[in-house]
Parts: sequence; C-alpha cells; structure tokens
Amino acid sequence: MGYRDVAKIGIGGPVGSGKTALVRHLVPALVERDYEVGVIANDIMTQEDADVFRESFADTIPEDLVDGVETGACPHTGIREDPSMNLAAIDEFTESHPDLDVVIVESGGDNLAATFNPELADYFLFVISVAEGEDIPRKRGPGVTQADLLIVNKTDLAPYVDADLGVIERDTETVRGGDPFVFTDCKAGTGIEDVLEHIEHEVLFA
Amino acid sequence: MATEPAPFLTALRLSDSFLPTGGYTSSYGLEQYLNEDRIETADELGKIIRGYLERIVGPCETVAVANAYETAAAGDLEGLLAVDERLHAVTMAAEFRESSTKAGRQLSELVLVEDGRRRVGDDGKHRHTVEDGRRRRASEADASESGSGRPLETAYAEAIERGETPGHYPVVFGVVAAQRGLSKREACLAQAYSFVTGVLGATQRLGRFSHTDIQSILAALLPVITDVCDRHVDDEIAAMASFAPLTEIMGMRHERAGRRLFMS
Repeated sequence: MGYRDVAKIGIGGPVGSGKTALVRHLVPALVERDYEVGVIANDIMTQEDADVFRESFADTIPEDLVDGVETGACPHTGIREDPSMNLAAIDEFTESHPDLDVVIVESGGDNLAATFNPELADYFLFVISVAEGEDIPRKRGPGVTQADLLIVNKTDLAPYVDADLGVIERDTETVRGGDPFVFTDCKAGTGIEDVLEHIEHEVLFA
Repeated sequence: MATEPAPFLTALRLSDSFLPTGGYTSSYGLEQYLNEDRIETADELGKIIRGYLERIVGPCETVAVANAYETAAAGDLEGLLAVDERLHAVTMAAEFRESSTKAGRQLSELVLVEDGRRRVGDDGKHRHTVEDGRRRRASEADASESGSGRPLETAYAEAIERGETPGHYPVVFGVVAAQRGLSKREACLAQAYSFVTGVLGATQRLGRFSHTDIQSILAALLPVITDVCDRHVDDEIAAMASFAPLTEIMGMRHERAGRRLFMS
C-alpha cells in the first residue's frame, strides 16, 4: 500500500480564496457517501493550527487521517517540483488505513502560476475569489487554465468589491476553453453540490 | 576529482536542489535560531554553518557517508545496516532524524529502485480513481514490482520500505555514490556541499540575507567542507558522533515553535 493506491485530489489557489472552507464542505460530504477520506494541509504553521484542523473534522474522520506538511516557505515546490513530503504523508495514511479511498491535499496558498504534480494529484481544483479582483481569470495563470476544475468563490462579495460577476463569467469561459468551472459561495454552501458532482464523476466513478 | 563524465554528472545530480527528496523542508534548527533572533548578520550565519560542518556534518554525516560507501562497495548489507543504526543513535534531535530519514526514503525510492519500479502511469492511464485503488489492492499489483538489478541496493531499499532500518539520507547517499562510480571522498564532498546549500537556502527564505551575502558565505565555506571531509573520510563507524549542543537544543525547541515553516 502506498500513495499510488489511493485517489488524490489537490486543492490549490491564492491565500484567502477559500480553500480551507471548501475542504470543510467536501470532507463530510465524501464521508457521507461512504468514502474513507484523508486530509493533508500544507504550511500549517504550528501544532496548534494542526490541532484546530483536526478538531474541525473530529466527528467525521479519524485524527490520524489529518496531517500538516511544512513546505519550507516553498508552497509551489511542495505540490509541483518536489511533492515528496506530501507523498510521504499519504504513504503514512495508507500504512495505518489500508482501506483509504481518497486523500485531499490542500496547498499552502499560491500565486496563479501554481499547478499540481500529476503524481501528487489525480484531479486538481483551483480556487480563486472574486474579492481578489475581477481580472483574475483573464490573467490566464497556469493554475486557472490547467486545473481540472476552477472554483470562483465568494460570489457574495462581488457587490462590495466592484466585481462584475458577468465579466468574470465571460472571461472564465474564454480562458478555460470549455473546461469546467463552478461559482461558489462557500460560506452559504452555494455551488458545493456542483463541485461534488464533478468530483464524483471524474475521480470517484471514472 | 571526478574526470569521468558519468560519476561527475551523478555528483552534480545528487548535490543539486533540483533532486526531489524534500530537502527544502529542512532547516536543521536554523528556523529556531532565527525565531529566537540568534542570527543577525551574514557573518554570524557563516560562523554557525561552519559549526554545523565541524560538529555534525564532518564527525557524523561524513562518517556515515564514508562507511555506507565502504560497506556498499563490499556488498556488506549487515555492515550497512549498522551504519544506519549508528547514525540514528547519534542524531539527537527528533526532527533531525525525521528530516534525514524522510529524505533518505525518497532518495532510496527515486534512485535505488528507479530502474525496477513500475512507474506511475505505466498502465496508460493518467488519472487514478477510487475504483482503481480498490482494484489494485484486491489484485495486490505491487507484488509484481521487481528490484533494480543491484542486489545490495534492492535489499537495502526493501529494508527501508519495510521499516527495518531508518534509511538516513547520508547512508542512502553513500550507497548510491558507491554504485555509480564516485570516489568515497567525492561522495563525502557532494553530500556536505548539498547540506550547506540546503541550510543556506532555508536561511535565505526565512531571514533577510542577500543573494550575494549567501554566495560569499558559501565560497568561504568551500575550504571548510574540504577540510572536514578530509578529516573524517577514513573514520571508523565507532567514531561517529556529533557535539553541537546549542544546535540540538534549537532543533528540539523547534518542535513546539510559535512559527514553523520547516519540518526541522
């Protein structure tokens, strides 16, 4: 058993775009669908942060299936050029949980150029927020264009940051070239079912 | 020095930060030195890294590389495991052991078994699903994996995988070097050099040191690397020991640090 024996979902995106909020929705939903799930967060700063993370999943998954991986102030390296420490953490999961089905790897906050190493993530989601600016999609960052699924989060904030959701949708359609994207408001839970449908179709039943 | 292209290029590969063994996640206590404001200037940084070389890299890691090299070249698996065990015993801070064994496992997987292991994607499928994982577990697909064609390397890599030996980085490094034509001295120099660039890089990302300062420190440490390697390249296993109390205390305090971006 090792990292090659489980499906791995990468979640990347800029700091504050809503990656953790998305993970908090996805984990219980996957557990409810009878999948055994592990979660790895990158760049957890202290043991205290790791404990907070474990507490938030205390009722859904075992404590030892939640781990933090430090990436030496190199968040991109940890998910792209050298994912070895993340893979080692997944290996540890599979040693103690041989029936593990899926591991979610949340990156530690990226710029728009971050992508996942295909050996670390079979499927990767990239999360951006409308509050980061209406022009984010049309910058065509590799994370935005290459992700298997793009999430445009915090749609509820659009009116407060002068972001036009219509412009964002049009630009996103253009840069994604037919690849899927979903608008979400993770705080209210809007769009989460769409995200789950994509994951189930592409990773779980493919 | 190496004049043959293959060993020379292997030495470059092994000492390059491009080698994906997770070295960039280790600071070996330097993050804690910086957390506690114990390093302010480039001069102080140079002195501290010199201390690492003289107290840890030379008398501990170089001895491990050299003895791993010797035992691997002689095909002596028991001797090799004894080197690994000794290095584990004399590495005091738990996070130093963790950084070294995690990187060692990666190097072992990447290099020792690279020729024999089935590569990801060999089944022609890029995306692996939950169903693939369940099928593979049911068929025990891993059982068909074969070794590298180098019996000692395979046996050592398997011992690491089964958790029978810690698989410290300098030990794996010595094995790889021995079987790929580097001299013992070159193996020690390459490992010490990669340690220094690793911790200098960590410091640069954590503190505020300029690239020219970092390169000046590295240039000044090159003769120190040569000296400590020459001093310890022929040491016996029993001589392997480190004495770096402050660095070890930093390594231990880091376990409960208020800020940690690094594994050690």
